[in-house]
Amino acid sequence: MVDFGIPIGAGIAFGLGALGTGIAQSRIGAAGAGAVAERPESFGLMMILVAIPETLVILGFVVSAMIMLMLK
Amino acid sequence: MECEYINARIRGMKRHLLHPSIYETLILKPDVESIITELGTTSYKEEIEKASIQYTGITCLEVALRKDFTNAFTKILGFMRGDESEKYIKILLGRWDVQNIKTILRGKNIHVTSAEILECLVPAGELDETTLIELIKQPDVKAVIDLLATWGISYAKPLTRSFREFSDMRDLAILEYAIDRFYYKNALKVVKGENYDDRIVRNMIMMEIDITNIKNVLRMIRDKVDVEEAQNYLIDGGVVLNTDKLLTMVKSSTLEGAVKQLEPTPYNFLIHVPEEFFRGGKISVFEKELEKYLIKQGIRQFLGDPLSVAIPIAYIWAKYNEITNIRIIARCKTADVPEKELRGELIYV
Repeated sequence: MVDFGIPIGAGIAFGLGALGTGIAQSRIGAAGAGAVAERPESFGLMMILVAIPETLVILGFVVSAMIMLMLK
Repeated sequence: MECEYINARIRGMKRHLLHPSIYETLILKPDVESIITELGTTSYKEEIEKASIQYTGITCLEVALRKDFTNAFTKILGFMRGDESEKYIKILLGRWDVQNIKTILRGKNIHVTSAEILECLVPAGELDETTLIELIKQPDVKAVIDLLATWGISYAKPLTRSFREFSDMRDLAILEYAIDRFYYKNALKVVKGENYDDRIVRNMIMMEIDITNIKNVLRMIRDKVDVEEAQNYLIDGGVVLNTDKLLTMVKSSTLEGAVKQLEPTPYNFLIHVPEEFFRGGKISVFEKELEKYLIKQGIRQFLGDPLSVAIPIAYIWAKYNEITNIRIIARCKTADVPEKELRGELIYV
């Protein structure tokens, strides 16, 4: 019988990470847009701040890859 | 409210507010022209340049400040158009509508010139400068109220209702009280909820009610108004001062006695007002202290939840504080007021 547990677990790890990143980036992005509208010189800093939540999805990807590879 | 974008923009606007050290520079300037030149290097540059085409001196500065103030609030209202938070800002800006209408009524009541009335207005609310200029053009108090009613502006209602009493007694306090009560009653009706934004706006309004009541009580003591009549000029809904407490203050019949009653309240700072002002019955000193407290409490909202209506509220007060202080400095320079007195006149630095 095919074991679906491992791919489902990997999917959850990756999916929730992506969801978290999405929520965080939407709020940071909105605030960043507001800040850049008033202070265009803050564009570089805002780009970095918007990118920071990407770590969540990368972490999720790593965990899901580990689940897939190590629990095979 | 979802206000990441709005609050980030307002925080960006906050950075354009003048640093307190600029007030020092302005105070040390010898005349209004040099104050205008100095402000020309700040965020007021654009409006000062526009105003200097038509006007000079204090008029140029007044026009530029008024325009900048209006622009800031129109901008904030623009961000919030259609958002749930729009109602909060409308309530807060309504304060200036009430103040402007009261100023126009006062001006018309004592037949002051239109130019002088216009100088005292702060067109930050929903009634813009053009609307206010039209109101100023009216010949008397009745005509101002009629025009408000014709335009369907809600403040016409309490004024129309109280006009008969006003024409009998010729006491403007009747109209002023009616419009104040209408504004506060409506404002409190809008922010009945228990969420953070409602609570923060409600607290600010309730504090304003307290402060308006204290000012009324002190004026009534100075003018020796009896307790029964005083009851008609008090507004319900303050944070710590209910009608009973306020009437006890009126009953004490002296400024010292009334202020002593405020000891257990947050307004106990009035006790420290120098004694000569108590004896001289100089109410304006007490009013200024109360205004200062209100502004400080408003600006303190910057420390509130960064994703709430606290930030726009704080900005509105900070901007008001800035404009008021520049106006005070400029007017004192025009009137050759000594530097020490000028510093005393500043609301909050």
